[in-house]
Amino acid sequence: MEPTQTMTNPTAAEAAGGAYDPITFSVILSRFDAIVEEMTRVLEKSAWTSILALAHDYSCAIYDAVPRQVSMYDALPIHTASLHIAVREIAEAFEGEINPGDVFLFNDPYSGNTHVGDFVTAAPVFSDGRLVFWSVTKGHQMDTGAYIPSSVVASAADIYQEGITIPPMKMVEGGELRQDFFRLLLANLRYADLIEGDLRAQIGSIEKARQRIEELCEAYGTDVVLRYVDEIIDYSGRRAGQEIASMPDGRYEAEGWIDSDGFGHEHIRVQVAVEIEGERVKVDYAGSDPQAKGGANGSYATSQAAGAVPFLYYIDADIPHNHGVIDHVDVSAEEGTVCYAKFPASTSVATIVPSDLMQDVVNRAMVEAMPERVPAGGARCGNIPQFAGNGADGHSPWGFMLFNNAGAGGAAKGNDGWPLWYNQAALGGMKIQPIEQLELLYPVRIERCEIDTDSVGFGQWLGGPGNVCAVRPLVDEMVTITFGDAASNPPHGAMGGGQGSGGGQYVEDEATGRRRFVSSSGAFKVDHTHEFYVGVSTGGGGWGNPYERDAEQVRIDVRDGIVSREAAAAVFGVVLSADADPAIDAEATAAKRAELAKAPSPVVTPTEPNASPWLKDQMRDGDTYELDPLL
Amino acid sequence: MSYRIGVDIGGTFTDFTVARESGELLLWKQDSTPDDPGRAVVQGLAAVAEQLDTDVEGLLGETELFVHGTTVATNMLIQRNGPTIGLLCTEGFRDVLYFRDGYKPERFNMHLEHPRELVDRWLRIGVPGRFDPSGEEVAPLGEEEIRAAAAQFREAGVRAVAVAFLWSMLYPRHEQRAAEILREELPGVDVICSADVLPEIREWERTSATAMSAYVMPKIREYLTALTGQLEGGGLASPLLIMQINGGCARVPEILARPVNILASGPAAAPAAALHFAGSVGDNLISVDMGGTSLDVCLIEDGRAAMSREIQVEGQPIGVSAVDVHSIGAGGGSIGWVDAGNALRVGPRSAGANPGPACYDIGGTEPTVTDANVVLGYLNPDAFLGGRRRLRDDLSRAAVDKFVGEPLGLSTVEAAAGIIRVVNANMVGAIRAVSVDRGVDPRRFTLVCAGGAGGLHAAELARELGIEKVFVPLEAGVFCSFGMTVTDVRHDHVTALHQVTDAIDLDAVNATIAEMEQAARAELLEEGFTEDEITLEREVDARYPGQVHEITVPVPGTAQLGPADIETLVGSFHEQHLAQFAYNRTTMPIECLHWRVAAIGAGAAPARPGAEAGEAEVKPMRTTEAYSSASGEVEEMPIYDVATLGLGAAVSGPAIVAAPTTTVVLHEGDVLERRDADGFLITVAPAAGAAGSARAEAVPA
Repeated sequence: MEPTQTMTNPTAAEAAGGAYDPITFSVILSRFDAIVEEMTRVLEKSAWTSILALAHDYSCAIYDAVPRQVSMYDALPIHTASLHIAVREIAEAFEGEINPGDVFLFNDPYSGNTHVGDFVTAAPVFSDGRLVFWSVTKGHQMDTGAYIPSSVVASAADIYQEGITIPPMKMVEGGELRQDFFRLLLANLRYADLIEGDLRAQIGSIEKARQRIEELCEAYGTDVVLRYVDEIIDYSGRRAGQEIASMPDGRYEAEGWIDSDGFGHEHIRVQVAVEIEGERVKVDYAGSDPQAKGGANGSYATSQAAGAVPFLYYIDADIPHNHGVIDHVDVSAEEGTVCYAKFPASTSVATIVPSDLMQDVVNRAMVEAMPERVPAGGARCGNIPQFAGNGADGHSPWGFMLFNNAGAGGAAKGNDGWPLWYNQAALGGMKIQPIEQLELLYPVRIERCEIDTDSVGFGQWLGGPGNVCAVRPLVDEMVTITFGDAASNPPHGAMGGGQGSGGGQYVEDEATGRRRFVSSSGAFKVDHTHEFYVGVSTGGGGWGNPYERDAEQVRIDVRDGIVSREAAAAVFGVVLSADADPAIDAEATAAKRAELAKAPSPVVTPTEPNASPWLKDQMRDGDTYELDPLL
Repeated sequence: MSYRIGVDIGGTFTDFTVARESGELLLWKQDSTPDDPGRAVVQGLAAVAEQLDTDVEGLLGETELFVHGTTVATNMLIQRNGPTIGLLCTEGFRDVLYFRDGYKPERFNMHLEHPRELVDRWLRIGVPGRFDPSGEEVAPLGEEEIRAAAAQFREAGVRAVAVAFLWSMLYPRHEQRAAEILREELPGVDVICSADVLPEIREWERTSATAMSAYVMPKIREYLTALTGQLEGGGLASPLLIMQINGGCARVPEILARPVNILASGPAAAPAAALHFAGSVGDNLISVDMGGTSLDVCLIEDGRAAMSREIQVEGQPIGVSAVDVHSIGAGGGSIGWVDAGNALRVGPRSAGANPGPACYDIGGTEPTVTDANVVLGYLNPDAFLGGRRRLRDDLSRAAVDKFVGEPLGLSTVEAAAGIIRVVNANMVGAIRAVSVDRGVDPRRFTLVCAGGAGGLHAAELARELGIEKVFVPLEAGVFCSFGMTVTDVRHDHVTALHQVTDAIDLDAVNATIAEMEQAARAELLEEGFTEDEITLEREVDARYPGQVHEITVPVPGTAQLGPADIETLVGSFHEQHLAQFAYNRTTMPIECLHWRVAAIGAGAAPARPGAEAGEAEVKPMRTTEAYSSASGEVEEMPIYDVATLGLGAAVSGPAIVAAPTTTVVLHEGDVLERRDADGFLITVAPAAGAAGSARAEAVPA
């Protein structure tokens, strides 16, 4: 895999026009961010499925004609760090036939998209008769016509089992929707009515941005805007370069493990070597395991993004994320590995598995060199099941993804982790559905959704807590499809902090009390007459030595049921009374902490695959465990 | 003689606005007394009465309207110094407040702290009891568990308990019974039910509004009860009214039933003030209140302020209908700086009042927006705040040079002009956020610029937005306390009733609306309003079936709804959806969730005194050196004294108009006219090569 090319913008280079004005620069920079923010709001507020309207599994961005990323505001970096590749693919496929009023649709991961589930819609923006910008959204659809009702089918054996592949297509031509193509598309999808709404919301969003960019060009003059786009990209590049230069030069290596490939092959290894030299970073995944049989493979686009994303949060969060930042990081991987699969392998879950781990191995590699900047491990997309059924009459299909049970984020130096991190791709930036809205819209009852005690990675700062969520189907058999990671290979602890709980999922039979445990990926059914589903999500990894956590804070953690009394004593060295509002035994605490400080703790833990004790601890006589079950 | 009094308690000052029958205003600032906020009210009233040649009893006895806005509750939330409270919730869901909407802002900031909940987890106690969406009782209420919870609350010494169960907005029976038990077990402890505070679907917002109500309740009740006693003892002839975040006011018992309504309510008085001042110009207004640290923006369309139910106070959602005041960190004290990549930035950091702008000479060394205005010659160093504060323009220059001019290679004046352009761009962004971003074209609006710094930026903001008319109130500094004297009484009612328009149960909808309207009307009549002073506004939260978020659209008519009304409703939904989101699906029906009635009791409009006729020929008092945005140079510019501008007097830019609490800057082509006693109207010259700033085009279907 070649590193991304360095690009230049011939249009803007020709368009010098006037002396540089730092004020115009600031104004145009904030205007682009405001436009993308408006796109984001339009899409969120008018979308139909919860994946877009609440989970925010979409990205809005503006590209110039090169195409280089101009602004992504608050988009998902796993989508946007490589979105220019998709825009270029569209531009090349339709060269000479790109006209005002056109909107293109595209989802093919083998020519630059992330995975089949992500639909890219892009509209060219013209000014003074020139194509100057692209207004782009990428939205994760709830269905792609795969063989089971999910757009993230971990058990897809090749790309054809993932549903419909769309090469660059003109969906709207000169302002007219191409009805024949649109009908063909919708005929291949479940929940076509909802997905039509989502696609219209994506088109609405890019239409808003098109209007706003045209206004901007009209107000300042096209050449002036283009000239300052160069400056904006240079500015970010300059600041990112300074930040990377302040990171210690060197070569850093780490490894980690994916739970499974969806077909029973477990603990797939991802290896990374990060080289920092001056203002440049090289991230190389050579040495990672061969590509998986199922969908847990990276595409070219996700691999390019996954290696670069950690550097977006290592640098000052204030630096605008555009091409100038991404350009400092070169990512490479060998074709045919789990990080970058060969056609026609499935890459159905590429944005999360293996991308989440590909990010986290970079965090593992870098934390000792720059502990202030690097967080502990976060949830890698466990416990976001898709539920579906056909209704009491057998003819009223329903389905939704449950985000409320998602795992938590890792701690960082100075602060505890957040709950509901979802995955490294989202970094906590998704939303959950209100329980009442779920029960109003779907035939299920949510019976519990609460913090799981001791799920946090222990540390001077705690990982965010996982939670326990119980879901009861009410009218028909509930098909449950899960795709995920980090149950048997939990989020890592850093700088002496402990690993997250890992967690898992099971179906409980009310009559017998027996439970069927299922690995983090799998497809199975829940019988509404006597069964219910329980997901227990992982906590995030801890940061720093637990015995250095403020004792009063540990007391509050125990009082509030985040940490158990036993763990407080054994791991944190804080000995407490048995009261509901406990008191600290100062003497016993000092002694215990002194003793704990003698035992050395590893920089990063775990160091071996399959490190979660959760399943073993939970299983009782009569319970069963299924690895990667298929329907 | 009769008076209308507005009293706004802030952290530093308690502002008084007293309007006489004639419309003349008396303004007074009393030092606040945070230990006992009511004391400043009583002290201020005595001072005001003295100036009116009467005593407190004489004043209060002739007061027909007494509206009070208070930050007591808001400050408790900001400082987190409220009492320990408990939350009784549905078993299995004690973490609703902690999980929030599941969203972590600032995606790339790994060091962002999670906002702390108002109730500690050990005092969030779940108890059995469950309804399903259809009203079937799935699990009976666990009365024993409630008593056990009460014991824990007692031990922890809670002062108030919020009760928030799932589905209580439709089936409040369990909450009501739980509250009964808690009151038995915990005498003297306030108990508040979520179905009474916010009877709407979505448990996070409902629980949060209830927890916030419980958190502020003990102190608010104590405070308002004492104040009522003092004012009634002083002979107040009218009931004490309290400013609410919905832009209207309400009596004390109504506030104590839903204390969440008084949070952040101060800026909600802005629309009433804007409409009063600029109503003669039109009823499409954008009010902008620029103070020392923040800018508050509010859109008023067809005489109605934009409302939102997504407002958060200190990271906690309030859920109730609120005047949609959009705030950004841009004010006179906002600091200009150059970042690591050499970009000029302004704010969000502010020098505030302390250390203040560099020119205050009380410790501030960084250049603020006020310093930039001093450098550009717009603010007269000798006449700031009526001469009460002498400004050091040399310190302004030094600060602008050191932190902006030198790093960017700009002259002092260029750097100062840059600071103004950047802060103006930030303010334009805030105005666009409440207009353009919601499908509203700001060019149809008049900009009302209040706050001490409003007049300095007004014309440039309008120009950038393509707005032609700007109104600058003369008494720009007391916008909100003035607004309280002209605000209406307002009660919001809401009922959850799920309906889809292609199979709508009109009887159920009509019954729901009628029940709310009858209650609302009875309440206002009881409060002394006559039928013709009462307005009832109907709205509904609606979406396409299958969509997740709603938009709120007006429900037509004042009588029983018929099929034609529903068609109108559906039509206006499609229209709104297109304007906001650039698409719609007109073949689909509409799903309705919450039906709303806003009941408004209008007070008699106060008189507006006319300005005295001025001299025919308007003469500047002198000229000064000030920056011209047209030439980019410092030029000779005339300064006019507002006292010499009589009714109808006009001034053409470039010019500066100085008033006691505000300064107006006019640029090339701008024309200012003395409108009446209340303020100025500026007709703004269009920008060179002005662009359209808002179009809502349909996406082809």
